[in-house]
Amino acid sequence: MTAVQKRIIINRLALAFSTLSAIIALAFLFWILGVLVMKGMSALNWNIFIYEGSPPGYAESGLKHALVGQLILVSLATVIGVPLGIMAGTYLSEYGKNSKLAHTIRDISDIMMSAPSIVIGAFVYAVVVMPMGHFSAWAGAIALAIIMIPVILRTTDDMLQLVPGTLREAAFALGAPKYKVIIDVVYRGAKAGILTGVLLGIARVGGETAPLLFTSFNDNFFTTDLNEAMPSLTVTMFNYAISPYDDWQQLGWAAAFILSMFILGLNIIGRLILLAGKRK
Amino acid sequence: MASIIDIKEECALQVRNFDFTYKGASAPSLKKVSMPIAKHSVTALIGPSGCGKTTLLRSFNRMHDLYPGNKYEGEIEFEGRNILDPKEDLIHLRTKIGMIFQKPTAFPMSIYDNVAYGMRLQGIKNKTELDGRVEKALQDAAIWKEVSDRLKHDANGLSGGQQQRLCIARAIAVEPEVLLFDEPTSALDPISTQGIEKLVIELKERVSIIIVTHNMQQAARVSDYTGFMYLGDLVELGHTEELFVTPKEKLTQEYITGKFG
Repeated sequence: MTAVQKRIIINRLALAFSTLSAIIALAFLFWILGVLVMKGMSALNWNIFIYEGSPPGYAESGLKHALVGQLILVSLATVIGVPLGIMAGTYLSEYGKNSKLAHTIRDISDIMMSAPSIVIGAFVYAVVVMPMGHFSAWAGAIALAIIMIPVILRTTDDMLQLVPGTLREAAFALGAPKYKVIIDVVYRGAKAGILTGVLLGIARVGGETAPLLFTSFNDNFFTTDLNEAMPSLTVTMFNYAISPYDDWQQLGWAAAFILSMFILGLNIIGRLILLAGKRK
Repeated sequence: MASIIDIKEECALQVRNFDFTYKGASAPSLKKVSMPIAKHSVTALIGPSGCGKTTLLRSFNRMHDLYPGNKYEGEIEFEGRNILDPKEDLIHLRTKIGMIFQKPTAFPMSIYDNVAYGMRLQGIKNKTELDGRVEKALQDAAIWKEVSDRLKHDANGLSGGQQQRLCIARAIAVEPEVLLFDEPTSALDPISTQGIEKLVIELKERVSIIIVTHNMQQAARVSDYTGFMYLGDLVELGHTEELFVTPKEKLTQEYITGKFG
């Protein structure tokens, strides 16, 4: 066997193994999605959107409480986390640049991004839930916002840095003050990227259970009171899935399906916006 | 040793004993540069890469201030004051001394908003006035005919040459006294280059122009005065024709005859 023949064989082997690995990894993903779609679709019906939670055995039980609770928690987290994340990212890219402080913030933010979310839940329990004396939607939203901030901060920082420096210089050369340059030129240039970061940030926290367990806790009833414990799709799913009741387990599948579609949708929209921005 | 022509006409700018040092550099990038910039004429700066011509150009609107740590010494006189004074109002200065960059820098907004940007910064809100001045600036930049029917379109849809003329329109819309051109045609095709050069010659009726160029033919075509720079020194400044035909310095002659550079 010549050296070239040997290399061709090794090449084919490597290709075969890496292709096989990719297929195995993807197979699990599609298996999960397949089971989720089958079980989730069959559990879906209009009652889910009309009725709130009820004890097992009742026909008129649904997920309205958890759906609305989830929307409130994620929206509130977005309102808190997005401005903070974008402003911090703006500081890093436009003011801090390569300073020591900016690098420290970037490093800490990266560490926060990979921090176990239950640790953040425990932190919010200590600084918000304990002083207030009870679980609340506020506490849950704050925990989610803390998880969201590093994601948005990083994408904002990265996307603003992609705006060419000459564009900033051109605006300065027309006599624009710095804040005008950032708002009128830099933000405009990075619009699609920042929006993608926001959507990915929302998608990131939308599926979180652990940080909500001891912040917003859970409830089987419909509420819009931010000072009370608030149900969420994720914690409801967790509770229903480990319950021994068949109808609760069915609702759990429906919750899993709705949540996954919501997050999948956000991710796809985020990527489409980024692609559209790149194509231009 | 430098041979600097004495300009009899009125001057837009006077550079005197100007040193410029970049942040962290041990030696200055510009050494004791002194030169007059004649009013309503085109002054070209030529020289090999790294000679300091762009550094000098970017000193006239204090662009170096965007990056902290750079140091100016000496004097650049404009409208009777030294613009290197730390107390100089940079926003005001930059509305008086505009700049066109190497690559077109159309902002991510409509053609109309691009041209109106500088005027809006100055607080002009009146729609009729803005409309009139946007049209005039686009006409003066010889691009009105091409864009008059799509003023609301995204400026990034224009070709490179059109974008560069749009940037010129944007710069002249605020009616500056001086325009700085930093190799404005190095990213453009020959036809667009011709258009920009024609524009430069037309514009000197109203503004004083300083143009940095790598292209000696371009300097010869558009400028009234040419300065040759080498390693941070201004070696020679003279009438363009004289400098190219009968240079006074040996170094200038070697450069324009292609012995180095």
